[in-house]
Amino acid sequence: MIEPFSVPFMGRALAEIALLAVICGPVSVFVFVRRLSFVSDALTHTVFPGVVIGFAAAGVEGVFAGALVAGVVTAVVLTLLTRGARLTDDAATAVLLTAMFSIGVVLVSRRSSYTSDLTSFLFGRLLTVTSRQLAETAVLAVVILVALAVSHRALLFRAFDPEGAAAAGFRVGRLDLWLNVLLALVVVAGVRAVGTILVVALLIVPAAAARMVSDRLAVMAAVGATLVFLSGYCGLLLSWTASLRYEIALTSASAVVLLLVIFYVILMPFRRVAA
Amino acid sequence: MIFRATIEIVLVATLAGMIGVHIVMRRLSFFTMALTHATFPGVVAASIIGVNLLLGGIATGAVIALGVAALSRRRGQNAAAATGVLLSGGFALGAALIATQSGFSRDLSSFLVGSILTVSDQDLLITAGVLVIVGAVLLLCARPLLFTGFDPAGARAAGLAVGAWDVVLLLTIQVVVVTVVPAVGTILALSLIVAPAAAARLWTDRLPLLTTLAMLLAVASGLAGLAVSAQWNVAAGASISLSATLALLVSWALRKAVS
Amino acid sequence: MELRYTGVSLGYQGKKALIDVEIRLKAGQRLALVGPNGAGKSTLIKSMLGQSEILGGTAIIPPRDVIGYVPQSGDLDPDFPVSVQQVVMMGRYRSLGWWRPVRKADRQAVAEALDQVGLTDKARNRFGTLSGGQRQRVLLARAIVAQPQLLLLDEPFNGVDAVSQDAIVTVLRDLSAAGTALVLSTHDLAVARDLADLICLLNGRQFAVGTPGETLTASSLRPVYAHRALDLADGRLVLVDP
Repeated sequence: MIEPFSVPFMGRALAEIALLAVICGPVSVFVFVRRLSFVSDALTHTVFPGVVIGFAAAGVEGVFAGALVAGVVTAVVLTLLTRGARLTDDAATAVLLTAMFSIGVVLVSRRSSYTSDLTSFLFGRLLTVTSRQLAETAVLAVVILVALAVSHRALLFRAFDPEGAAAAGFRVGRLDLWLNVLLALVVVAGVRAVGTILVVALLIVPAAAARMVSDRLAVMAAVGATLVFLSGYCGLLLSWTASLRYEIALTSASAVVLLLVIFYVILMPFRRVAA
Repeated sequence: MIFRATIEIVLVATLAGMIGVHIVMRRLSFFTMALTHATFPGVVAASIIGVNLLLGGIATGAVIALGVAALSRRRGQNAAAATGVLLSGGFALGAALIATQSGFSRDLSSFLVGSILTVSDQDLLITAGVLVIVGAVLLLCARPLLFTGFDPAGARAAGLAVGAWDVVLLLTIQVVVVTVVPAVGTILALSLIVAPAAAARLWTDRLPLLTTLAMLLAVASGLAGLAVSAQWNVAAGASISLSATLALLVSWALRKAVS
Repeated sequence: MELRYTGVSLGYQGKKALIDVEIRLKAGQRLALVGPNGAGKSTLIKSMLGQSEILGGTAIIPPRDVIGYVPQSGDLDPDFPVSVQQVVMMGRYRSLGWWRPVRKADRQAVAEALDQVGLTDKARNRFGTLSGGQRQRVLLARAIVAQPQLLLLDEPFNGVDAVSQDAIVTVLRDLSAAGTALVLSTHDLAVARDLADLICLLNGRQFAVGTPGETLTASSLRPVYAHRALDLADGRLVLVDP
């Protein structure tokens, strides 16, 4: 079973997934308790124009910077929009998502490699992850985890009881911005390697699945990370076997997401309902 | 070609504006987004097996709409997370199915941003038919839908079956999504549904006026976007969606200036 | 600790919601804010937290880090995956800051606060599995662990069972005996009479402030509740829909 992963590109793909598992376990817990599924989904779409502009300006090296800028800008705009009055939160999020993504499409649709660009954005290039990309993901992973460790108390208090947190002197608006920026960083860390489909799944599904078996946040984070790693391992193996043995083109990103969702479904009967 | 595209966008925009009002009022944007992704595997499977795409989409969509209705009614279930799981799972499944076929990336990009310039006469007929049906349903059920959406507890006390009306609305949304997405793509569908309704919402709270305004804004955005697309050779789906966003931004700015 | 409002008017976004507030509260005193729904009780409490605007008059409010606040438990998500212990520990978050790990002293403070509200055996349960009254007691424990000099409680007895109400009243008495000043809003006149040594009657403006004996009389209450007060023949007053 280990054999496929001794092939260098498979090994790097697995390492990338492992890094993302370590980030997404804890981060997805906050996505879950703050109900930020839609915001996560929006962020994965809104980095698209950044990716396109970055690539056009500086080639492959520019993608990272472009995604970073677009992600942070979206995080700020989303935070501001969701505090607005008459536009409901989710309508504002939807409009920002479609508008930013459309800008990306407009930019990319004038290029000849239009459809293949879009496809690689959706699925990433997990099997062509380079050592350099791995190093970048590792750096972002450290940054994100430290940022989360430092702020987890404030974020937890705000998620549970915004009014109480504000009364205790926490700045709720800044905390919301902080978490949205962290989510943007996760998207940036993952989107190039694994694509939007997988990133959005990694942000939403792990904690939602883990919540079925535990109501402790730390346990949820650990279970979530484990599930991501397991899905990554099995998903890569599955797409490897499918393409080599049976000549079925199964994109690895889809395989990983589907396994993650299968874990969610398997865990559903074990849901800890309110006692 | 342009002629058919123009008719199609007018029909689609009218449909989107009509249903968008309910989606914005009930905060169902994320649900709609999830629905566009979750019906995707049904459409792909239908095209592989060779049955009608609309039927495939409607069949999976109905299952999903009912599933979400059941999930969100149950206590102890984070509906946002469940919707998110549905979204990513559906998309991954659809993408996996489509990857087994040739012409992979072309199909996928048209799923996202649509191919309004290549609609057929049959597409037009189907859209027109759905428009008539959905329009009739929304018109006939306007009162209970409004009441149950605005004040579920009050509606229940007044003897309305709130759960049943929710299902009626979710199924109607789902029919619209399945009709609209193959023609114009998920991103455009979402923006045509949400942005004009949100813009109209800034001007009025009265349902008939709100709906009319939303439909007008949607059609105007559609036509403007199509013109821009033809003029400067950019993807039609994207330019239409940006026009709709612009309509919302202008409404918002005007509204700020007025009040 | 000193809390003093002189001719204060309060509101939101420049619009006045409550005027003529005259309060003076010293350490260990218990002030109950009484009035119908929408009278401005929450506005007054929020002004002490800096969450509503002071539009006139002078207000001397103790620094924020000596003020504790107990919100209404009904507003919190019952599905939130957090244990009773964790909720109480939130009261220590401000003193813990960003980096410092939880120490033995923090754990001990949490255990003591839980003991005080009588929920030691529920420490590891999920918050949402508790009854409304128990949740309110947990939130009270969370406020206590921060050792506030001024404790604000927003309708602490709303939807609370008799056992929990007794437990909360006992804790509040102990706190005030130890020198903590209390401000609580309520529309339950019996509790106010029983617990408070100062009553403030509000409805858009302050009608009266004084001891329960001075303020909780038919003649003082009648103008506050206006048409919602019914006079009985024997001189008593009945409040309809307070």
